[in-house]
Order: sequence, then C-alpha cells, then structure tokens
Amino acid sequence: MTVESSQGPVVYTTAIDPAPAAPLAAPAIELINAARWYGNVVAVNDLTFSLGVGVTGLLGPNGAGKTTLLHMLAGFLAPSAGTVHVLGRSPFSDPSVYRQIGLVPERESVYPFLSGLDYVRFNAKLQGLKNADQAARNAIHLVGLEDAMERPIGTYSKGMRQRVKVAGALVHDPQVLLLDEPFNGMDPRQRLAMMDLLTQMAASGRTILFSSHILEEVERIGNDILVMVAGRLAASGDFRAIRALMTDRPHTITIRSSDDRRLAGALMADPTIFGVDLGKDGLSVRTAHLSAFRRLIAGASRSAGVRLFEVVSGDESLESVFDYLVRR
Amino acid sequence: MTANTRPAAPAGSIYDLGYRHYEGKRHGRWYAVWSLYVEGVRGVWGFGRPMTAKAAPFILAGLYSLLALIQLAFSSSISQAIATSDASATNLATYHNYFGQVSFFIVLFLVAQAPELVCRDQRYHVLPLYFTRALGRADYALARLASLVTAVFIALMVPMILLFIGDVLMKPDTLQAVGTEWPQALVSIPASLLAAVSLSAIALALASFSPRRAYAAIGLVAYFLLVEIVPAVIYRVGDHAGWTWVDKVMLLRPTNVIAAATDWFCGVRLPIMGQDAAAPPTMGADAYVLAVIASIVIFTGILLFKYRRIPA
Amino acid sequence: MMFTRSLSAIPLIVQVTLRQLLGRRRTILLVLLAAVPVLLALVFRAANSTDIPSFATGVLDAVAVTLLLPIVAVLFGTAAFGAEVEDGTILYLLAKPISRWAIVAAKFIGAVGVTALLTILSVLVAGAIVLGTGGEAGAEATRAFMVAMLVGSVCYVSVFLTLSLFTRRALLIGLVYVLVWEGALSTLLPGIANLSIRQFALGVASAFWQMPDEARLTPSTALPLAIIVVVAALALATWRLRRFELAGSGD
Repeated sequence: MTVESSQGPVVYTTAIDPAPAAPLAAPAIELINAARWYGNVVAVNDLTFSLGVGVTGLLGPNGAGKTTLLHMLAGFLAPSAGTVHVLGRSPFSDPSVYRQIGLVPERESVYPFLSGLDYVRFNAKLQGLKNADQAARNAIHLVGLEDAMERPIGTYSKGMRQRVKVAGALVHDPQVLLLDEPFNGMDPRQRLAMMDLLTQMAASGRTILFSSHILEEVERIGNDILVMVAGRLAASGDFRAIRALMTDRPHTITIRSSDDRRLAGALMADPTIFGVDLGKDGLSVRTAHLSAFRRLIAGASRSAGVRLFEVVSGDESLESVFDYLVRR
Repeated sequence: MTANTRPAAPAGSIYDLGYRHYEGKRHGRWYAVWSLYVEGVRGVWGFGRPMTAKAAPFILAGLYSLLALIQLAFSSSISQAIATSDASATNLATYHNYFGQVSFFIVLFLVAQAPELVCRDQRYHVLPLYFTRALGRADYALARLASLVTAVFIALMVPMILLFIGDVLMKPDTLQAVGTEWPQALVSIPASLLAAVSLSAIALALASFSPRRAYAAIGLVAYFLLVEIVPAVIYRVGDHAGWTWVDKVMLLRPTNVIAAATDWFCGVRLPIMGQDAAAPPTMGADAYVLAVIASIVIFTGILLFKYRRIPA
Repeated sequence: MMFTRSLSAIPLIVQVTLRQLLGRRRTILLVLLAAVPVLLALVFRAANSTDIPSFATGVLDAVAVTLLLPIVAVLFGTAAFGAEVEDGTILYLLAKPISRWAIVAAKFIGAVGVTALLTILSVLVAGAIVLGTGGEAGAEATRAFMVAMLVGSVCYVSVFLTLSLFTRRALLIGLVYVLVWEGALSTLLPGIANLSIRQFALGVASAFWQMPDEARLTPSTALPLAIIVVVAALALATWRLRRFELAGSGD
C-alpha cells in the first residue's frame, strides 16, 4: 500500500488486508448506561454510545474518565452498572475477545530487556499467529522501526517506545484498536505517520478509538469525537455538527472589506447579528446563525456597495467546541 | 494579513510581577545538616508520617523494652527473691547484659527503619534536590547516620531508664539508692551509644544499596541472620577440631561484640554472656572493643563511598 | 482452540519470566547467598568433621532451610507477578486470548524453577563436599534436604506468587511471615508449626532421614497439607487474574 504523507509517498508492505471488511451486523463497540465508580467517586457516569468502523477521538480534560473508559472497553475494569460490549461480547473476563482487540495503554512500560522485534514477535506468538515472525516484521515496518528493531527497548526514546507498543497491538490485525494517548512523546513527523496509519486502518474496515489531549490531531484524523467531562458524555458525533448545534454560543466571523464601517452599519440592521466590532484588522461579527449569515453577507455587502476581501469563520476549531463543552 | 498601516509593534518585554529576590541572611550548611538530621530522627520514629508508619518502630522498640518493663512490674517479688538469696535472682536483666538478651528486637527495628531513611530519597530521585543545596554528599550521609543513631539510641536507653527506676524502687531507701545507683546507670549511656553507632552504621550502609525498601529490608535480614549463624557454626566446628584461631571468628557477630564492649564499659571484665554458650572466653575485652570500632569505621566508610558514587 | 493456544503460550511466558527474574545484580547476590552452605561445608570438610547430625542442624537446617530457602523463594515468588503488576506490563499478558490459568502456570513454573535450582544445587554441592567424610548418613541427609528444598520452593513460591496479586506489599509481608511466624512465634507456640511452610518442607523430608528435633510433622501430614496449600494458592491466583482490575487510574 502506498500512503501519501507530508514527506511524499511512503510504501508500506503490510499484513493488513486493504480490502474493506464486510459490514458488521452490530456496532463494534457498544455501551449502554455503562458506569463505573470507586467508592464515592464516579469515574464514568451513565455512558451510552456505539461506535462502528472508522476513527473516533476521545477527548476530555484530565480526570474526565477517558482512561477508565478505555480500560472498561479493554476488559480490565468491570462496569459497576450497565453493559459494555465489544464485538458483541463483554470483554471483562472473556479472554477470547482479545484476538480481535488491540490495546495501546498510556503509561505502561514495555519489557526493557527485549528487543523491539522480540517483543512484537512475543505478542504475535501469544496471539497464536502461525507466521509470527513475518507478522512481527510487517508490524514493525508499519510503524517505521526497522532500524531499531534489534536493539533492546530499554534503549528506545519515548516516541519509539510508543511506536513499538502500537506495533505489538496491531500485529494480529485486530478488528478494534484502542489507544490511550498514542501520540505522547512523538515528534511531529512520527505523529503524521501514525495518523496516516490509523486512517488507513480505519479505511479498511476497522474500529479505532483513541484518546488525546492534542486537539489538532483529533481534528486531523477523526471527524467523529466523543467528549467526556467529569465522567459524563458531553457530546458525540461529528464535531462540526456539534458546533452547529451549539446555538446559544455565537459564531464569530472576521471580515475585511473595502469599507468596514459601512458594512458594519448594514449588518447591524439584521436581527440575527448580535454585535459587530470595528477593529484594526477588520470587522468582527457575532451571530447565532451561521447559515443565515452566509446568505446575509452577500446581499448586505452588495447593497452597501462594499467589496469583501476576506471572510473568516473565527472559531470552527475543535478547540472552541471543546472549550465550550468543558466549561458548560 | 492586513493592508492597513500600523505603528511597528514593540519588541517583547518581560514584566516585573513583583517577584521578590531574597537578599537577607541565609542559614548555612550546618543549618541544612541540622534540619536533615531532625527530619531523619522524626522520620525513623514515624512522626510526620501517617499512623501506620509509627506502628513498626514503636512496636519493635516496645518489644525491646518489654523485658525491662516486666522486670519493673514484678520488682517487688524480685526484691523479695533477692532478700531470700533465691538463685533465680542471678538471671536478672541488668545494664550490661540487657542488650545481649533482647538484641533480636533492636535488630528488627533497624531492619524496618533503616530503609525508611535512605531508600525513599533514592527511589523518588530527590537526591539532586539535596545535593544542589548547601549540603554536601558526605553531609547528607552523615546526617542520615546521625539520625538513625539518635533514634536507635533512644530505643536502647528506654529500658536502661526502666531498669534504673526498677533498681531504685527495689531498694528500701529510694533517694539514697538514686545516689548510689546512678554511676552504674550512667555507664549505660556510652555503652548504648556505642551499640547504636555500630548497628546503625551497618544497617544504613547496607540499606543504601537499594532504592526499594522491601529489598533493602531483605538484604538486612539476610546479613544479620548470616552474621549470627555462620560464625557460630564455624566456631563450633573449629572448636571441635581444635583450631585455636576460631574464637576470632566470633568477632564478626555484632551482637556478641557489642555485648562484650558494653560489659567492658560497665567494668564487668567477665567472660562474655551471649545467647548461646559458644562465646569464647579466651579473648580479652579489648579485642571486642577494637572490633566494634573497626566495624563502625568500615561501614561508615562504605556509606560515604556509596553516597559519593550515587548518580544525582 | 484456546486450550492449545494457552498451552503453547506457557513456554513463551516462562522464557520472558526467567529473563525478568534473573537480573544481573539480583542473581549475583542470590548466588552468593546460596554459596554460604557450600562454604560452611568446606569448613566442615577442613575440620574433618564426621558429625553429620550437627552438620545437618547447623548448616543444612539453620542456613539452607531457614535462611536461604525462604529468602530466595519469597524474592522470586513476589517478583514473578509483582514487577509486572507494578510496571503495568501485566496488561500485555492479560490482553491476549490465553486462559488465565496458563499465565499463572507459566509464572509459577518460572519462579519455582529458579528457586528450586538454586536451593537444591546449594544443598547438593554442600552435601557432596561433606560426603567425603560423612559416608552413607551424609548422602541420606543431603537427599532429604534436597527434597525439603523442592517442597519448600514449590510451597513458598505458590503462596507468594498469589499474595503479590493481592497486595503491593507482598515482599514485606513475606519477610514478616518468615521472621515472625516461622521464626519467633513457632518457637514460642509449637501449634503454629502445623501451619508453617518450613515444617511442611521438613516434614516431607523426614521420610528420607531423621530430621532434627524441631521438625514436628510426619510426612503423611506434611505432604497433603503442602499439596492443599499449593493448589489453593494457584487456584486463588487464577481466580484473581480473571477478575484483575487495574488500580484506579488518575484519569
């Protein structure tokens, strides 16, 4: 498979089947009213969602319960209430489901005395792969660690350790991949490569859930997000759609034109506009209805006889969505 | 981005938020050493830590003093026994033979608490915080040693004080008894100090080799047990075989050596009483005292060497 | 399917376990510890001692059974799972389609293997050295203590393996158990002997040779008790692994 990355095309040979898998009858991951508490502390509170094929980003501030959720999905925590189903089965106390799940935990170190190849091969053999060695080499190639694969993991940098964990998690070609802050410690080039890899895997029919603090990354590869705040699901779905749903928060649009003041006057007349700021860099317009504004601006500028140079939507980014949801 | 002309933005500046530099008097190195020392003594006894940290030191020190406590409690019947010249009175615990009888518990105390002093700092990599202050590496090591010595000294002195009280109460005229008894009791102070220094040096030097408390504790247990059993076995075998130099082997046992040195302090030039009768009577007390001093020097040296070499 | 996969996973996990357990410093120190009975045997030999019973009590019992065996077994037993749980690497073993009993079995085999090897070798070499002067009685004593080492290794390792899955302080508890329960208390309260692994080991060994006085159990009591303890411990470990939950993460 050839992957276009920012460095130009990179050719990967892979054990991963590039053909899309048959559509699943049931969603790969399904939670119904799942909750988890420790004594008086509720880490995960009444979560209901389902995930299918594709990449989903799990966002949330520290302490929101992301790692707890991932551990529940990975079968390392039993839900205190509700159900957690991965591929139709409860992962807790059912080891057979691990054939289809790959897990990349956050903080866990890896055996430092094994070489990268040994470690991935160990994982492959434990998974019962017949051609463990070849699968291991493929996986290592996928994450770009061929140069270092003979060295002990104890000599790896943090980014390399992350990558070898990912290699170990996908060596058996799992249907579901769970990653907890996978981009930690990776430099931008490695991050891009990893993002490309995840996108490719999702395109070939896998379900990938990853948690991250780094909003730009989630923006890049995941359209779908799950936002957790204080153990609850604050939002789920496409983040642009979520943004559009947040009607009580005005959109901010920056405009540069040939006559800002006149345009401002024309816009203020319309009831959908909350406010207009005249600044050095242009006009700053606040409105609740983005779509209505788009229709409005063309007509308003033409009737005011003002030429538009630039219209920029101020806060479409995931950051503002996230901010809003967290502070709510 | 903008076509409008603007005045050129100023270069970046740093604002003074009112951070105050400290220009006053600073305590020097000795204050740092003193602080570390006090913190160490408190730490060994579990003060400044949760309740569970106090359990081990207090229980073990209590067990060590138990014999004296029992003797104090039964002092009336004991004084009766003495009055009737009962033979069992010779088994009394006194200042000079107390340690030899109950050393097990004080060794346990060291096994439990010496790791507390040196292992945590290594484990959590806080040594650089110490060494970049006025404190030197040797200062740190010696301060820790002094803390352990002080803590152990306290544990060793408690039963001595109890014995003194018991002694004094047993006599019919208490005030007069205080006058006559206290020189004897006083000698137990340097003796206990010697014991404290000797044992602490060993324990701390060995404990400093592992950042994990459990491993350090196991290492200490192994050392103290080995050093009791192995010389005894060698002595027994060698004695049978008629080797004359075998009694020197007993110098390796800390408990024997300390007990002997204590006897020497108390002016008791008797053959040494140990738990088992394997104690050789052929060596003079000065050999034992020298052995104590040698062990102190050696183990303190090991401790200093270790802390000179620790990466931080 | 999973059974065969689990079975074939065991040797793999044993290999990794061995590498985890035999770090350089730890191995050297434990080998030195195991050399002590050998050194004492040399002393015995040099003294031309034919006093086998005294050798047995003094060296084999006091040093090997009471000191060497528990320390080595507790160290390896707790380290088998303990290190993994602490670092979190146990996730990699658990997140595999392998039965939990296979994981326990593999760790158990690894830890018992090194413990038994070290302790039995120590007794063997020490016995062989003394054998020159000890004659037949020496051979019997050595054989008996080798058995004691085997039984002791299996029992101690199984108990502490399991304990390390329940608490992070398994090593400390092991120390306290050895020093207090098997040491101080057993001398004071003989009834306790029935519940101490050391007595199981000595009891089974007494089928081969007349043990020193402090061995209180007969082989017919010691062996079943030992088996019960081992089976119960391993079953408990398997049960625990099945329901293993990661300690509450910060997020």
